[in-house]
Amino acid sequence: MDLTAAPFLGIPEYALLWALSAVCIGLFALRIAFFVRILRLAKPESRLHHIGKRLRMVMTDVLVQPRFFDRTSAVHAIVWPVHLVIFWGFVCYAVTFGWSLVKGLVPGLPIPWPEEIPIVATLVDLFGGIVLVALAIAAFRRYALRPRGVKRTVDAGIILVLIALVMLTSLAGAAAGIAGRGEATPEAWLPFAGMLAGLFTPSGAPALQHAFWWSHMGIVLGFLAYLPYSKHFHLLASPFGVFLGQTDAIGKMRADDSAEVEGRFDLRDFTWRELLTPLACAECGRCDRACPSYNSGEALSPQDLVHGLKEHVLAAGPLLLRANGGAAALRPAMNGAFPPDAVWACATCASCMEHCPVRNEHLPLITRARRRLVSHGAVDAHLRDTLTAFARYGNSFGQSERARAKWTQGLPFRLKDARKEPVDVLWFVGDYASYDVRVQNITRAVATLFDRAGLDVGILYDAERNAGNDARRIGEEGMFEMLAEKNVAALSHCTYNRIVTTDPHSYNTLRNEYPDYGLSAPVVHHTELLLDLVRGGALRVSPLSIRATYHDPCYLGRYNGVYDAPRALLRAVGVELAEMPRNRRDGYCCGAGGGRIWMEDRPGSGERPAESRVREAVALGDVTVLVSACPKDIVMFQDALKTTGNEGALAVRDVAELVLQAAAAFAPAAQEV
Amino acid sequence: MNIVVLMKQVPDLVEELEVDAGGTLLDRAWLRFITSEYDDHALEQALLLKEQHGGTVRVLALDMGEADEMLFTALAKGADSAVKLSGDFATGIDSHSAAGIYRHALEGASFDLILTGVQAIDDLDGPAGAMLATHLGLPYIGVVSGIDVDTANGEAHVRKEYPGGLLAEFTVDLPAVIGIQAAMQPPRYVPISRIRQTMKTASIDETAAQGERIAGAISVERMYKPERAGSATMLEGSADSIAERLLDILTEHGIGR
Repeated sequence: MDLTAAPFLGIPEYALLWALSAVCIGLFALRIAFFVRILRLAKPESRLHHIGKRLRMVMTDVLVQPRFFDRTSAVHAIVWPVHLVIFWGFVCYAVTFGWSLVKGLVPGLPIPWPEEIPIVATLVDLFGGIVLVALAIAAFRRYALRPRGVKRTVDAGIILVLIALVMLTSLAGAAAGIAGRGEATPEAWLPFAGMLAGLFTPSGAPALQHAFWWSHMGIVLGFLAYLPYSKHFHLLASPFGVFLGQTDAIGKMRADDSAEVEGRFDLRDFTWRELLTPLACAECGRCDRACPSYNSGEALSPQDLVHGLKEHVLAAGPLLLRANGGAAALRPAMNGAFPPDAVWACATCASCMEHCPVRNEHLPLITRARRRLVSHGAVDAHLRDTLTAFARYGNSFGQSERARAKWTQGLPFRLKDARKEPVDVLWFVGDYASYDVRVQNITRAVATLFDRAGLDVGILYDAERNAGNDARRIGEEGMFEMLAEKNVAALSHCTYNRIVTTDPHSYNTLRNEYPDYGLSAPVVHHTELLLDLVRGGALRVSPLSIRATYHDPCYLGRYNGVYDAPRALLRAVGVELAEMPRNRRDGYCCGAGGGRIWMEDRPGSGERPAESRVREAVALGDVTVLVSACPKDIVMFQDALKTTGNEGALAVRDVAELVLQAAAAFAPAAQEV
Repeated sequence: MNIVVLMKQVPDLVEELEVDAGGTLLDRAWLRFITSEYDDHALEQALLLKEQHGGTVRVLALDMGEADEMLFTALAKGADSAVKLSGDFATGIDSHSAAGIYRHALEGASFDLILTGVQAIDDLDGPAGAMLATHLGLPYIGVVSGIDVDTANGEAHVRKEYPGGLLAEFTVDLPAVIGIQAAMQPPRYVPISRIRQTMKTASIDETAAQGERIAGAISVERMYKPERAGSATMLEGSADSIAERLLDILTEHGIGR
């Protein structure tokens, strides 16, 4: 059997195959070269450390794809097996296609056709059939069930049809082969081709088999040419994206590397990894569904933002390459790729990144756009006032730094001044815990617990400044630097062994970012420290009988992986925990992060993230307390309880308040707080 | 379009204000200074006009409080030059003296427009701009919240907002002095990194404050915190008992029977 030896219209078929391959592979290569040239224009970024970790990410996220498993509903859960089958079917077909192509290009090559080897033929048949079933499910989901965030683009339709045709032509060719052999014993088990064999007559079969082979090769070659021009390019870019994904703590932002080229903002101002993100995007919509701002009807769709950057790469890339990196007037188009209202709607909860199957990195793009807007002074009035307050008073409340420790007034014991005497634990209290009257009683509860446990603890009093975590995520890098420098300077005059903080946002930057500014002490969250104190017996508790649910603060959970300490602490004080459907890495942001707490909601937007979260807790039915471990959560949820009319149904508490309640029985008689 | 902006520092109200032992001034030991909000608007308005018409913005300030920080911030926002008028302002300065200093600094200078805040919270006095205009022989218009400049005709159209939702537009020949109530946009945000950069690269011109105080100044007789003048008594209980108690009180004070 030599499928390409015969002439067609006087030209040997193998020559036609050479021509077709040259055109299609040429188109493919042109596009790849274009992308490579774009990435080479971009800024450098080091992504080759942690090789072992990177290989493990590829092994799991490329070969097994567990991030695809979305347990929130059957409509989404089905995608994991469907995509995995299509992926492995693709791998199988890519191998046999390459094999067939070589054999077709070089007639008489002394190797068999892939289908002549029984096990390969069976694999191709099984994958062909199963992939067709998977495609049917995928199409039904996309076009009939129409889940949110899944777009019905022309691109998506073409790809589904092309994959189906690849499978069908292969199965039909094998079926014609069976029909052609007539009653002869089949060489391999081909269940799906066998079903189709009845469609063909033995006499016409060889010609049809030949035609199907050609259609198969033609479609695959066409697909190859089309692929890098479509969203299907993700299948080539995303394995690189996964391998070159973030391996450092996501809570550590890169310093501002703006080129400071006046008036310029184009692709050269991004790193190559940032530009790889839109190329690797498969437009699956998972980021949108995970995004609290998108779900609340704010202007942000992480998927659209990434897609907008891709469109910009395609539109501006050729201009930039042609201008040889010269001054191309690209600024307006770039602003189009990052609409300010979308950029500002982000609460930096990192849920998009956590749920992205190809490990794309949305937040660095948003920060880059924000830094750009801040450098132009393009911030809304509320945010401007907050930033001005940070600069002037070191807190977002616009209150005097002298009032920072006012919450300590009325404590029946003296909290050490860490500036004046050595302490074991330095307590970095945080803005909301210090200044917000709704949170101060929690801060006093923490102080009381530390005192009861005999902890050698002190605070910085007036010298503490906002840690700058949110200022940095607003894109005000200079503010972050200034605040970090002031805090590190204040800390450098103190003697202490470790830092505890009552604020997950401070926790994140103190732990992950302050080491760059000279901080070397270990940093723990108050729930971690209290757990140690309870377990070590320093803090005696009697079990409560409360059924509660715990909300994972983004900067504690997703950012720093502290999921277990608060839960263990709650269990240690006898709280029976019920989990909300969105827990741990799926935890749903309260909407306050990334400076959102100081910005206006978009008029007419839908249910706010905190309201959605409160309703989720109420829907558990049998819990009386929504527990958190972040002062901003407390403020957001207390507000959401009121706006959703759930004040009677649920109480919002910090973990520390429940611990204090459990410790009440052991309070010294003179000390009632 | 060359614009001069006069800016000053005023006490920051986040700190508790105390009257000093003399009883006519704020206790400066606890005082903290902040840029006068109206002056910030005057600067913003000047920067907006510069963006529209080109030219320069020159900022003048008396050396009080955080004058350096204020001037560097103005330069970072886009002002072209900054002048600090140094002198002994430890006990503050009244508007007549300030106007005298500004007159001396600006006499003979070339400019199209002088903008300043219409008033400042530390004197609630307001005439500095008007006095300066009078002594420079220029027109003055105050409480302005919008300016359009017609460079061809050398005039400005300014808007004032009146109570009751009324706007009035005036035309004033340039050069002129204008007291700003509000700029046409809220004052812009300038990133810290740019202010820090400006502090490294730009410089503030410093000259000694000179000039005679303009006559007719007022002086503070006494400064004090509002004094409590009695208090209300709430009557509680049933309507009958309240009525009875009320009658007693009225009788007690000799009202009625």
